[in-house]
Amino acid sequence: MKAVKYLPTFLFVGFIFTMMVLWLVLPKDSYSPQEKRTLAAFPECNTETLTDGTFQKSLDTWLSDHMPARSFFVGLNADYDLLSGRNGAKGIYLGQDNYLFPKPVQDGETLLKNAGYIQEFADDLDNIPVYMTVVPSSGAVNSDKLPAVHETYRDAEWITAFREKLGKNVRFVDVQQDFAKAAAKRQLYYKTDHHWTSYGAFECYRLLGAAMGYTPLAERDFDKEKVKGFYGTSYAKAALWFLPPDTVELWSNHQQPDDAVTVAIHDGQDNKTGSSYFFREQLKNDDKYPVFLDGNHSLVRITNTAAEGGTLIVIKDSYAHTLVPFLSQHYRNIVMVDLRYYKKEVSALVEQEKADAVLLLYSLDNLAADTNLSYLF
Amino acid sequence: MVFSSFIFLFVFLPIVLVLYYITPRRFRNLTLFVVDLVFYSWGEPMLVLLMMVSVVINYVAGILLGARRQKKSLSKLILVIAVILNLGLLGFFKYVGFLGETLQFVLPFLNIPILEISLPIGISFYTFQTMSYTIDVYRNTVKVQKNFIDFGTYVSLFPQLIAGPIVRYQDVAEQLVHRRENLQQFTDGVKLFLIGLAKKVLLANQMGVLWDTLRKSGESAGALGAWVGIIAYTFQIYFDFSGYSDMAIGLGKMFGFEFIKNFDYPYISKSITEFWRRWHISLGTWFREYVYIPLGGNRKGLGRQIINMSVVWFLTGLWHGASWNFILWGVYFGLLLIIEKSFLLKLLKKLPAVCGHIYALIFIVLGWVLFYFEDMSEMMRFAARLFGANGWMMSSEVLPTVIAYIPLLIAALLVSTPLFTTIYHKIKWQPLRMVVDNVGCVLSMLLCTASLASSSYNPFLYFKF
Repeated sequence: MKAVKYLPTFLFVGFIFTMMVLWLVLPKDSYSPQEKRTLAAFPECNTETLTDGTFQKSLDTWLSDHMPARSFFVGLNADYDLLSGRNGAKGIYLGQDNYLFPKPVQDGETLLKNAGYIQEFADDLDNIPVYMTVVPSSGAVNSDKLPAVHETYRDAEWITAFREKLGKNVRFVDVQQDFAKAAAKRQLYYKTDHHWTSYGAFECYRLLGAAMGYTPLAERDFDKEKVKGFYGTSYAKAALWFLPPDTVELWSNHQQPDDAVTVAIHDGQDNKTGSSYFFREQLKNDDKYPVFLDGNHSLVRITNTAAEGGTLIVIKDSYAHTLVPFLSQHYRNIVMVDLRYYKKEVSALVEQEKADAVLLLYSLDNLAADTNLSYLF
Repeated sequence: MVFSSFIFLFVFLPIVLVLYYITPRRFRNLTLFVVDLVFYSWGEPMLVLLMMVSVVINYVAGILLGARRQKKSLSKLILVIAVILNLGLLGFFKYVGFLGETLQFVLPFLNIPILEISLPIGISFYTFQTMSYTIDVYRNTVKVQKNFIDFGTYVSLFPQLIAGPIVRYQDVAEQLVHRRENLQQFTDGVKLFLIGLAKKVLLANQMGVLWDTLRKSGESAGALGAWVGIIAYTFQIYFDFSGYSDMAIGLGKMFGFEFIKNFDYPYISKSITEFWRRWHISLGTWFREYVYIPLGGNRKGLGRQIINMSVVWFLTGLWHGASWNFILWGVYFGLLLIIEKSFLLKLLKKLPAVCGHIYALIFIVLGWVLFYFEDMSEMMRFAARLFGANGWMMSSEVLPTVIAYIPLLIAALLVSTPLFTTIYHKIKWQPLRMVVDNVGCVLSMLLCTASLASSSYNPFLYFKF
């Protein structure tokens, strides 16, 4: 019984030894799917790396990347932050109904600079209509579900300022008010991800119709395939593992012939082709959003032989991946470029493709941070 | 290697504990000495040689002083040489760049080259430790340490090597040779270590995040935000430093050493005089013992005492870093202490205690402004913000962050008072005490590990970035 008073020693010594042994014996992953990054490899150990200290530094990184029960500890820390009052410590708020919201962007400087690039780009294109939509952030649209204490989402203010700088050659479609209305009834954004749901993209597709001159299909024209177990990037960042997953819906037009669609992906050396908007092999991962057009690629060409319209160039971030399948119902040929990877002049591409229209589609958060829009012309 | 890292907690410490306790008792200092050198060279692979030079200088000085006890003048010469060598190394590695910059500023036409020398970790601490030994041998208050391993172990003992406490040789001379490790002491050490770790990881680091946010938010924080910011820094520096001292003392206990307490709830002080009796006690003791008293202390009249205090506080400031703001910080406290000595302390005694607390805290917190900003113009800008230069209220951008930190600020406030210690010691019922002990230890272990794990967890939003 006397030994009981030494329990802290046994707990502490037991803990540090157990951790050390587990570090040694547990198998090591080389890639972290949650963080979407390659984990550190064991550093090279020789006289040179030892004397200049690089081995020591790299070993620290290796230990952190491969610690036993890492995701348990990361989750524990997130729970502790939340309980001790710091909702949003990892840049993500937990709101009502298990909604996760990335914190608002704090700086509008890049946003306005980008407006300038887009304006110049549009002015240079003769007679080709340029449309643009900015997707407001989930926090701004679902403002009633935000936690009581949160930083201000200034989406409305910034979108107005952005729009004013675009000039007359860009036809801007503002979705904010319709989104706010629709969000009261249905889910426009995922709870565990910053992206919009298929329904959110569908709303945008309906709103774009009037400006772009197509008659949108109705919701009943689509079959919905539901895939459960989607844990998005907000979930991975927030590390609040107790939250339930989202469901991804794959909407397909049931009148569209099976062989009408081709999706050709060009990404440097890495090219592939699919016959559906959906890349189902991506569904086996926790993050299922790349099921739409296979995620981010430099250039993707989507052809639909059953559509009536001509060629549309879409300059975009990942939000477009859900929207483009809808647009594809009305354009035979959609060329989708991602300026984060596509480093050629877009104006040249527009000419070369003899495009009938150009659509720029960005989420506000990305547009306020993306410094690649100078590649437009 | 810092204590709050995976490499220390889960690799170095377990291995060292095994090595230490399987070593037969009379070789344990050798084991410690070897692991100390590994510990030091982990962060400073080459500069470990510098530390060895320092060890050798003082070891030899000790031997020479011991052999020449009778010849007073020769002893003095040896001491002077040893002190010059010690301070020379410290001066060269810590202050040469600063001296060059200052001379360049004052006498720009001389074109003095400015040397860029990186500061060897812990040099300020181990230099003061070795000097305490040599001076005490000269004063004949300690025996000469003839065993090089024992002496080397004293200087480079890894728990207090890089951030104190500054252990005087006389305080550990006996333990160095005749210590008896035991499970009770080890358990006390574990508890203290985990308290220190929690202070550092769960409080200091978080307060640091708040301070960074508020400092960088500039104008939008207003005066209120600037005050919350500097208060957060006040907590950060205390929990960082005292947490480190707790971990050092706790680790010392695990290897059978007892070091003196380094912090004694400094923020509950009623005067600056009291604050410096409670803050970084080992440094204050060192300066009193080896500078203030040898200069004559308070025994040579008030005029001389003021000069002595000025010298000590100038040096205390300078010791903290090679930059004018640290000197300013030292002189600031020197001045306050002189004012307190001459009349303020007597006045404060007549006033209600709360006046003393408020007075002391305001000047301590303002002192941290001097301490933090090495760049004078930044310091002035921040000081101006404190007094309303950019408005008083916080903007709506900053407010949510501050609100989110209120629970931790309250926790920090309570932990910097003796409240929890007092309550803990009131628990007489052993089972309850044990529950508190063990639950506390487990929470500290898990939450600190979680916090360290989290700081390396960085999800990338996009696959290819």
